[in-house]
Amino acid sequence: MAPLTPYTYIQCPCSDASTLGRQADSNSPRSPDDDELDDRAFDPRAPRSNYSLYPLDYLNYCEDCQQIRCPRCVAEEIVTYFCPNCLFEVPSSNLKSEGNRCTRSCFQCPICIGPLSVTSIESPPDPSLLAAPDGAPAPHSGPYILTCSYCNWSSTEIGIKFDKSNSIHAQLVKLNNGGTTRLTAKEHRERRKEASQDRLAGPPSALAAAASNGGENNEELDLETQFANLKSFYQSQLADAAPGGSGLSSLNDLGFSSPTSLSRIMSLYTGGTVHNSRNKSRTGTMREALISDEGLQIASLDESAAIQHLHSIDYSETITTEQSTNQPPHLGEVHPHGTSRFASSLRPIPYLLRTKRSKRCPVCRHIISKPEAKVATTRFRIKLVASAYIPTITIRPLNIPSSSTPGTLPPLQPSQFILTFQNPRFETINVTLATPAKTPGRFSSKVTVLCPQFEIDANTDVWDEALKDTSDKTKLRRRGAAGDDGTHQAEAGKIWERGRNWVSIVVEVVPASLRLDLLEATAKEDEDVLEIPMFVRVEWEVDVGGDDVGTAPSRDKEQTEERELAYWCVLGLGRVGQA
Amino acid sequence: MSAATVSTTLPHRAVANIKSPGGGLSGPSTPLRGVASNFGSPSSLRAEEDLLLIEFGTRKLHIGFAGDAVPRGCVWFGPDQQRRVGDFRVWQMDYRDEWAKRESDSEWGKSHELWQPDVRDLDLGLVEDKIERAMREAITKYMLIDSRPRRMVCVLPSGLPLPILSATLDTLFSRFMSPTISLLSIPVAVAVGAGVRSALVIDLGWSETVVTSVYEYREVRTDRSIRAGRMLTEQTHKLLASRLGQSPQRPSTESECTKHVLSFEECSEIASRVVWCKASQHPASAKPEDGLATVEEQDESDVRTHPQGCDHAKTPIPLRSAATPETLELSYDQLAEPCENTFFDSQCSPRSFDDHELPLHLLVYRSLLELPLDVRAVCMSRIIFTGGCAKVLGLRKRIFDDVSQLIREKGWDPVQTKPSDKLGAASRLKKRGSRQGNSGPTGVPPDGAGEEEQDGVWHDAANTVPEADPVEEQLKRGRDRKEQPPVCGKMRAVESLGAWSGASLITQLKAPAIATIDRDVWQQQGAAGAGRVGDVDTKSQRQSVGPAIRGATSGSSWTLGVWGVV
Repeated sequence: MAPLTPYTYIQCPCSDASTLGRQADSNSPRSPDDDELDDRAFDPRAPRSNYSLYPLDYLNYCEDCQQIRCPRCVAEEIVTYFCPNCLFEVPSSNLKSEGNRCTRSCFQCPICIGPLSVTSIESPPDPSLLAAPDGAPAPHSGPYILTCSYCNWSSTEIGIKFDKSNSIHAQLVKLNNGGTTRLTAKEHRERRKEASQDRLAGPPSALAAAASNGGENNEELDLETQFANLKSFYQSQLADAAPGGSGLSSLNDLGFSSPTSLSRIMSLYTGGTVHNSRNKSRTGTMREALISDEGLQIASLDESAAIQHLHSIDYSETITTEQSTNQPPHLGEVHPHGTSRFASSLRPIPYLLRTKRSKRCPVCRHIISKPEAKVATTRFRIKLVASAYIPTITIRPLNIPSSSTPGTLPPLQPSQFILTFQNPRFETINVTLATPAKTPGRFSSKVTVLCPQFEIDANTDVWDEALKDTSDKTKLRRRGAAGDDGTHQAEAGKIWERGRNWVSIVVEVVPASLRLDLLEATAKEDEDVLEIPMFVRVEWEVDVGGDDVGTAPSRDKEQTEERELAYWCVLGLGRVGQA
Repeated sequence: MSAATVSTTLPHRAVANIKSPGGGLSGPSTPLRGVASNFGSPSSLRAEEDLLLIEFGTRKLHIGFAGDAVPRGCVWFGPDQQRRVGDFRVWQMDYRDEWAKRESDSEWGKSHELWQPDVRDLDLGLVEDKIERAMREAITKYMLIDSRPRRMVCVLPSGLPLPILSATLDTLFSRFMSPTISLLSIPVAVAVGAGVRSALVIDLGWSETVVTSVYEYREVRTDRSIRAGRMLTEQTHKLLASRLGQSPQRPSTESECTKHVLSFEECSEIASRVVWCKASQHPASAKPEDGLATVEEQDESDVRTHPQGCDHAKTPIPLRSAATPETLELSYDQLAEPCENTFFDSQCSPRSFDDHELPLHLLVYRSLLELPLDVRAVCMSRIIFTGGCAKVLGLRKRIFDDVSQLIREKGWDPVQTKPSDKLGAASRLKKRGSRQGNSGPTGVPPDGAGEEEQDGVWHDAANTVPEADPVEEQLKRGRDRKEQPPVCGKMRAVESLGAWSGASLITQLKAPAIATIDRDVWQQQGAAGAGRVGDVDTKSQRQSVGPAIRGATSGSSWTLGVWGVV
């Protein structure tokens, strides 16, 4: 087991249930724990805490609200949409129409998600392609394929070749696996229009015949076409439904025993003999789809061909869960159950677009972070990171008794750790720490913070640091030497070490024995990690005049204001070894 | 912080209002009339721009814009999602192999579920967190939208417990600031997605299989069984574990569910990749004998019987999560076992099952049997399979065939014990015989005298001029309008676009959802404020999912529809 590097997580105050939305009322079916949440010490082991804990680097800070802002409690705005592969900036208007994927020629390999490249195959002329009357091919052209340079997958494996080397996306949409062209919903509609014009002579018979044939008319529709057919069918039905009055006749009554629906049902049962003529027209109007042109699909349940195929292939030719989740929804698929379990049904994955987002404080609407709009730059115009406002906590071991397994803490023996708090602010801060005497969880260890209250000096100018450097170093060295020979003992109520803008204190822990609970077969994941919940309260004084950091210092320094920030954090000290 | 204050102060909200006139600022008086004329117009595109449509399942959620044919993204719930931010151990080399440490046996696979239907020991706060994180992932990765408040439509299983529903709504309202959320139930959405008004929706889901009869867009009956995806995965594990042990004498009962030797991910994957379902013993081609005989079975008649020879073909399955990596040789016959055991369990007698674990064909049959006659007639010819396990090859056909067979054997006789089988057959025979005997020579029914008296007129069948029957007229008119009588009484399966797409249709057609909840009302009242469906004045409650009428419901009563009341 890898030794654990000590870590610090910070809980964003936004996850406190009391600040969130609706107050839990006694009637509502919520877990009773929620009400007591405030009173309890924070338990880093609770499954919920995984959602509220963040490393310091992930946190932002709103200067105006003086509050930590985590990714959950910021409002985001999109700055740019772009394709991560070609870095093309996509206008936001395209997003609605063309979806969330790159519509140029950027594709990922469906097998290994590596990028695909377009290459031409200079194969001996393919008779089928020559037959296609698409002009004289240029000398270096010919059919193009997508190939993956990592796993050697190529689109020929699914029978897809392209005529042009550009706008692959548009070409791919029109191709089914195997190379057959696919009609889009629009083309279907046009085709149907033509057909219906043809049979305009006898409209009732045509439709009636089609409907009565039932199964034979069951043209296989792909998802997009079926959706379009259904939509136009419903729309025509609803338009027919009521010449005047409330147009939403039937869908209207979803799930309700409203008077209208009651009367409609009555009329259904009585065959439309309810006296009201309006009702009669209503019952007659909204019907169900009867033919595939209206979107009805009789299911073909016979999957023996697919089963046979499954039996004839290797396990590796079926697609993994990961591959299938990576597959974009394919509109050309016949029905959602999909036969998409064979590698032959995979399709190249167009790259998902990405966004650059700016973040705002949800309360005061000030911008917390704003990246440059250009795709290629990684700079930020504004970025208020929390590590510039709240103290950084670093942990290092001080005095750990030797353990049977190296890199772990011996149970039931006191170990000491040094916590170093570094103050990033330009004001002196007061830090108050609180920990539960015993860590929550099944294995509760004893924790003692030797110095729970201290002051850290301001983060002064860098030049000061440079000037002070020598003296600091000597001091440090002396301290370190003293620690080594054991004369420098950690004392309760005393700071261990102090520097320009940092203070170290000592925490003593007595890890619990993991053996206590051998009844339960194994410890859960990470249950052997000694984690200390610690409540950190930071107080500082600011000049009221110069509220904004970075502005000129205000003239009257007397007018100061007390500020405070309090939050839970979790210190992961190390794994507890087997005694 | 209330939605109203936020929305009025946000600068970008102003832009949003400009973009959709009649949106946020229009009062409750926005007239609904004249909507009908708008249906065909493409200009309605803008109105639904902001509508998010989310379908929640036990293991994944689908998200997209209402009006699209398919969802834009699908997020699976999994243990990796439940880690702390900044915890990158998923990428460690041996992460996958250390699965046993992460999941104790009782929780095998539980971390892949959003919720468990048993809410007694379910941490609802955790459900909220899971929903929130999955939603954030979906929004950032697939939807590419900002965190402006958006109206949402949720597609939920109709049997979702109220606490979970409440937790879901809480999350969406408080974390995503949605001004209104409309609820749609999965079976209705599936029916709409198939183009039918009535259907028997067989949702082969993850934690349970739900058979819902939808009649005229209403759910009239629901039956459920735990024989579903989770059980299939467990059965797959059982099969693999027993093969791993290679000991045929392995006692199956006491150790099968306690110790897991393979990771959930692997079993789930194998179940979805190679597990298949054998064809029915009774193909539907046999002539139906009962009242169904009027309609001939359609294209199911030429069932190709499966060539049994290739079932013995073996396939090597690499197992990585076992104690030592191993490759199992399994024949396809064996790979059909989990499916057989999960969904049919044919070696047990039908009487040995509890109500919650009926094999699927029995479940469907019983569900149909309990339906009123006309509902049954309509529903049985609109069977829709949906859900993740519908992907198991051959399973849909197997259920369909087995149900057809059950119907052929038993008819629609609710009494199913053995003696009654005989008795029933005997009495049916007798009846038939007596009828033939009676009507044959005389042509006068034995109780004909009574009828004469009742009618008062000697009825002369030959001379009865059909009086103007309004029913007939209506029917004729229907025929004139090119309408066909709906297909009834024969078994027929219909393909649906799925719940998400169905809901997308409903929303796009601006049909009102089952329930629409206002954020302010929810935050004030919670689920406790919901009224019963009947108590609510639907006219005032009902609001179009299209152009929003904000604040229309405040003050009036509202409902959670099929999800009930506290």
